Order: sequence, then C-alpha cells, then structure tokens
Amino acid sequence: MTRYILQRLLSAIPVLLIVSLVSFLIIWLVPGDAASEMAGPTASIEEIERVRQQMGLDRPFYQQLLQWYGQLLQGDLGHSFLLNRSVVTAIAERAPVTLSLTLLALFIMIVLGVSSGVLAAVRHNTWVDQSLMTFALLGMSLPDFWLGLVLIYSFAVLLGWLPTGGYIPFSEDMLGWLRTMTLPALTLAFTQMGLLARMTRSSMLEVLRQDYVRTARAKGLPEWLIIAKHAFANVLVPVVTVTGLSVGILLGGAVVIESVFSLPGIGRLIIGAILRRDIPVIQGGLLLTASAFVFVNIIVDILYAYLDPRVRYEHS
Amino acid sequence: MKIMRFTSSMRGFCCALALLSGNLASAQNMGGDAIMAQQAQPPTLDAMTTSAQASRNINLHIYETLFARSENATPIPDLVESFTLSEDGLTYVFSLRQGVLFHNGKEMQAEDVKASLERYAKVGASAKIMEPVAGIEATGPHEVTVTMSHVVPDFIGQLSSPRAPAVVIPAEEAAKEAGKIEIIGTGPYEFVEYVPDSHVKLKRFENYSPNMNYTERDGFGGRKTAYFDTITIRFMPEGGARTAALQTGEVQFLEQLPAAAAQRLQDNPDIKIHEMTPWAFQTIFLNASQAPTDNIKVREAIQIALNMEEIMAISTDGLYRLTHGWQHPGTVYFAGDIGQELYNQNDVDRAKQLLAEAGYQGEELVILTDNSFKNHNDTAVVAGEQLKAIGMNVSIKVVDWPTALATRAKPEGWNAWTLMMGIEPYEGPYGVVGFFVGDNNFQFEKDEVLENEYQVLNTSLDLEVRKQAFANIQKRLYEKFYAIKVGDVGIYQATRSNVVNYKPYRIPRMWDVWFE
Repeated sequence: MTRYILQRLLSAIPVLLIVSLVSFLIIWLVPGDAASEMAGPTASIEEIERVRQQMGLDRPFYQQLLQWYGQLLQGDLGHSFLLNRSVVTAIAERAPVTLSLTLLALFIMIVLGVSSGVLAAVRHNTWVDQSLMTFALLGMSLPDFWLGLVLIYSFAVLLGWLPTGGYIPFSEDMLGWLRTMTLPALTLAFTQMGLLARMTRSSMLEVLRQDYVRTARAKGLPEWLIIAKHAFANVLVPVVTVTGLSVGILLGGAVVIESVFSLPGIGRLIIGAILRRDIPVIQGGLLLTASAFVFVNIIVDILYAYLDPRVRYEHS
Repeated sequence: MKIMRFTSSMRGFCCALALLSGNLASAQNMGGDAIMAQQAQPPTLDAMTTSAQASRNINLHIYETLFARSENATPIPDLVESFTLSEDGLTYVFSLRQGVLFHNGKEMQAEDVKASLERYAKVGASAKIMEPVAGIEATGPHEVTVTMSHVVPDFIGQLSSPRAPAVVIPAEEAAKEAGKIEIIGTGPYEFVEYVPDSHVKLKRFENYSPNMNYTERDGFGGRKTAYFDTITIRFMPEGGARTAALQTGEVQFLEQLPAAAAQRLQDNPDIKIHEMTPWAFQTIFLNASQAPTDNIKVREAIQIALNMEEIMAISTDGLYRLTHGWQHPGTVYFAGDIGQELYNQNDVDRAKQLLAEAGYQGEELVILTDNSFKNHNDTAVVAGEQLKAIGMNVSIKVVDWPTALATRAKPEGWNAWTLMMGIEPYEGPYGVVGFFVGDNNFQFEKDEVLENEYQVLNTSLDLEVRKQAFANIQKRLYEKFYAIKVGDVGIYQATRSNVVNYKPYRIPRMWDVWFE
C-alpha cells in the first residue's frame, strides 16, 4: 500500500507540471493583461504601457515562465500583481472559506444523499421512493446560481432567518459562521446530493437482492439490522467513489457559489484573477486545485482497500 | 508679476455659516457602521495609480486632492487655500491649507505635496497630465510653486479630476513604488483593513480637518463631515444578492441598483432610490483603418441607420436620455445643436443608399463587445440587428473585458466597439476628445482638424476660444463619424430609508450623511 501511495504521489508531479504549463500558455495567449485592469477601463495605450512596465509584464514570455518555475522549486508561488501580497498568502487567507464550505456541503450531501438513497431503496416503488427520486432529479437539474438566489430570497429576504451572504470565520463566531455558511453549503450540496442519492439507491437495491441478504432475512434478523450491517457496508464502495468525484465538483461549484454569496474563497480568487489576468494567482490557484483533485483521488483509492478487503493494490 | 488671484470666495461669510452649520450638525446623529455594497473589488488602494471606479468609491473617502470637483463638476480648492497664476500662464503658486493632518498624525506640508505630485508624474494612471510640468518646488512650509513648460488651460481641472486622483500622501510614502504604500491620506475616513474579495473597512478620522471655507459638502470637496463611526465597503459580485442585502438591511448603500430592481422596489418604504442621470455616455467607436469602416460612407451609413432610442431603452432598461452632444447639456462646453440633424435618424433607405455609394459588397462588420458590462453587450446586439436591416453583414464578437480592451488596442480584428464612458464626460471635454487625438487615437486615423482644435483647447487661456474649439471638434466628429454617440445613460443608487441627507453623485459619498 505504501508503495502504491508513493507511486501515485510521484505520478502526480508531471500532471501538476503539465497543468501549470498549459494554464500559463493559455492565459498568455488570451489577449489582455493585469496592466489594463490596473490602469482602468478607459486608460490610453500609453497609460497601460507605463503600468505594464512598472509591473514587469513587458518581459518576454519565457523569462516570466522560467522565473515562475524557479520560484516554484523554492516553494514560492510568486506575488500577486494586484493583491499586494504573495500568492501563498492569498490562497492561505481564502482556504478556510472554501474548505469549510466544501466540507459542510459534503457533510450535508452525504447525510441527506445517503439516507434518502437508502430510504428510497428500502421503500422501493412506493410514493416515498418516487418523491425522493423526483427531489434528487430536481437537485441535479437546477442551476446552482439560480438555486442560490432562490434560497437567498426565501430565507434572507422573506423569512429573515439567515444573511444574504458574507463570511464570518469559525474561529471568531461559530454560530455566525454557521449562519453565513448554511445557505451556500445547502446550495452546493443540493446539486450533488441528487447524484449520491440515486447512486446509493441503485447500489442498495442491488445489494438487497443478494443471497446473503436473503440468508440474513431467512435467519430472522430484524430488517434494520440487515440494512445497517449487512447491506450498507457493501453500498459504501460506490458511495465513496461518487463522494470522491463530488469533492472535485464541489470545489468547482464553489466558484459560482462564492460569487453568489459574496464569500472570499479560493474560487472567487481564481475567477477574479482570470478576469484581471493576475497570472501568478491563476497559476497558484490552478496548481492548488489540481493538487486537491489528485489528493482526493488517492484518498478514495486508499479507502477502497479499507472498505473492501478484496481490493489489494500490491497484487495488482 | 502675479495678476490673477483665486481664493475661496466669501470666506468670512462662509465661516459664519460654518459656525451655524456646526450648531445644526449637533442635531445630526454621529455613529453607526455604514455598509455599502459594490460589484467589484478595487485593484489597488494606491489611489493615484488606478482609474478604476471600484477604487475611486473607496479612495475618495481616504484621500484628498489639491483641487476637487464641485457638485456640478467644476474645479474647486480642496487642500489648497488659494492659488495664483502668473500672467503668462506658466507659474502656479499654491497656498496650502494649514493644520491639515494625515491619518498618521503628521501635518500636511509643502514637501508632501511636492513629493506626491512628483510621484504622480512617475506612477499616476493619468501621469500625462504632469508632462507639461517643468518643475515643482516647495517655496514655503505651506506653499508649492509649479512651473509649466507651456500653457495648459485645464491644469487645475486635471489636478481636480477624480478619475485617477492626484492625491496628497505623506512624502515618505510618496517615495515608494506603485502599490507599496501605506494607505494614509487626509480624508474624513481612515483605512482600517482590506480583506480581498470580502470588504474594505474605514473608520472616522477623529482629527480630520474639514475645509472651513465652505459651509457644506460640494461634489468631492466642500466642507465634509464624517458622521459614521465606520464604513464597510463589501464586494458582492452578484446583483441579485446585492439587492437582497439592501432589502434585508444588511447593507444600507448600493453603488448601483439595476433598473428592474429599482422599479420593483420603488414602493418599498424601507428603501430610497436615487436617480442619477446623466451618469455616462453610451458610445460606439468605429475603426477607420479596417474595411469596411475605413470607408467614411459606411461609417455615415451606420450613423444614419441607428435607432438610438431603441438601443438606449434596451441597454439601460429604460433609464436614459437622448442627446447628441459630446458634452452634457448645461455644462460649460456643451456645443448646442451641432450634429443633431444626424442623430437618431433611423433612416434605413438613406443608410442603404450610403452603403451603395460606398460600394459596400457585404464585407463583414465586426462589432466588438464584452460580457462584463450589460450596456456594452446590449448596445452591440441591438445596433447589430439594426445594421443587418440595412443589409450589413454583421458579426458580434463577445469576449471578456480584458480581451476586449486588448483587441480594441489593435487596428485589426474589429470595426465597431461599444463603450460606456462615464468619468470622461464628467471631467469635461479633455478626456472625451483625448480618445480621438494623438498617435494612439481610438479610431486609428489621425485627423489634422481634431489635432489642431485639440491644440487650441490645450493652449488657449480664453474660455470662449476653447469652447469654440470644442464645438469644432464635435462638428468634425459628426463629419467623420469616428464614433457614434448613442445616448446618455442614467443609474440608480439606493439607500435604506434611515439614511439621511444622501445625495447621489459619482461615488456613494459617506460624508454628510447619517442614520436617522
């Protein structure tokens, strides 16, 4: 297992290098740069050029690329053109927002998604099953930004229960954090919850038809025990697969949700950097996101081995 | 010999009024955290290095300039007490107001002003305004002498512009590179924190030195009083969320309220909606170096074909004014009816005839626009449909804003470009005409008539001569069709009902307003 993990980690290095190179190339080829943003929308060409020189953006492409990789080898992701701080600092400042949003959304998604999937399977072909699956389909179909605005209107404007947006750090005020995070996390979770619920349901239905479940029932075990102990353990592998994929999708979805709910997270950092051509931040942000994907995939692979004793990577 | 003397008028009278207004002010409420929501976050809080609106909204609470713009956009003294201009128009002597403190407690002196102006010449986003400056000297603790290499009639106007404001900062900060300064000014609010993507927080500067030469706020200048304890400027990219936050009372000020939301909320007793018309020009620039718009007849056909009312009604959601002028009506340089006969014609037959005379063979007309500003995009779409109706082969190229700017800066790849210009017409004629002159003019065709008239505008000390020069420029624009004035755009700003004495302006001003 250790060897496998090391192999996976090593194989991630070229992936991350390619990600950073391609993103650098793409952003370089797209017209416009941070100097235009800094100088303002109606600045003249001379004004933009002056700012460009001040920012060092008039240097050749290869020089900027080599400098970036040189810094990367020293663990330095560079300095933001526009935020007046290092990229590492900018990411570190926002990481708690995106991480807590993703984890809370993941928690809601797993609890509600798995429980509704199990319930739908157990109450197969009843109104409960049909209602839950309709709800799941709705979640998968609704655009997250629209759902976010509907939730803001319902829970903030009409009911006044929760704020429309903003962020209060967990360390400052736990209740305040929960109040600001509830609507964005619900919005984010809702779209993935449907997928998880459907996957859990179909896996559970398959498991419930297995011989060992029939045997357990024949032994006279209570139904809840059969579901919770014998069936559920075998549902977990597909559930973990979907959850692992969802983490990536949730991180991506956070980009939109952070804008709707005015959350100062990594998604908004990257979008803002793209719109303003803040290349070091784009590079750093994409590298971090790609790393998160790779890391989550490795964790999912490791979890497979723990959940299913038949999976042994050494033999493969 | 100094023959022209300008001082803040009626000073004694003003002081008396100031005392009176001081008494009145005691009835007003101090305190509270005012929260304003705006769409974008500032690229920097180093005020002189950027002309971004998002920065201006914040910076003009922190920093002040030697001269500011009044309520009707004319220059008025701010940090300057009075000034003289020599007979030859080349030497300005600025007497500074005394006892003005920076947020770090230091008194503003001539050396700070000298260092700030010299820094502006190096890193200012509109540094070209300093090019005619031959020398800046501190000729006394509170006196600065600026010598010009040639006459610049609008020098004070340029120094007073809020576009990329020539703010005064401590000399030790002025020695630093762009973006590396401590945020220290002389304004009514001082900087507390900037959390990117979240907010900027300011607090009332308790040792603020209001300009006692005035009785009340006046544009960006006048006598400013900070009533709020703190101001929080939140960055909320989503328009619906900003409106919702105003409805719930989480924010009390909105930089801009969408017209549709303004109509929906007009009967809401908790919200006051403030209209600000005109706010900006909606324009379409035409590229005179790229076929088919390199043909003046084609450009004229476009001018004659367009239905400005339809474009403005759609692109502004109904808040607009139809005017042909390249200056706002009622301002000093407004050039009357010149060009009006060519404005908003929507004459399809005449436009088709002009295309035929031009020998137009269906060449592609690329309208460049962006998806960042609704007005730009809507203008392109509606104008594009109208131009298709006269038989043009229209292609609309929608890109993001930085790409649009970069594409526009090249002579190829576009024929028409939609731009809403806000601060330039507010500043007066120079910013507007600046688009059309010089080697890097936006139409990619150097026009000698425009160059000559711009020279007059820039050198004559006689206002009437300058007004005539601008009138000639407007006439020329309607002869050469380098750009099309579509109309004047308005905006809505909004506050909660408990905000007292708010008056809409170029930025949501947080001074001289208070909570009920």
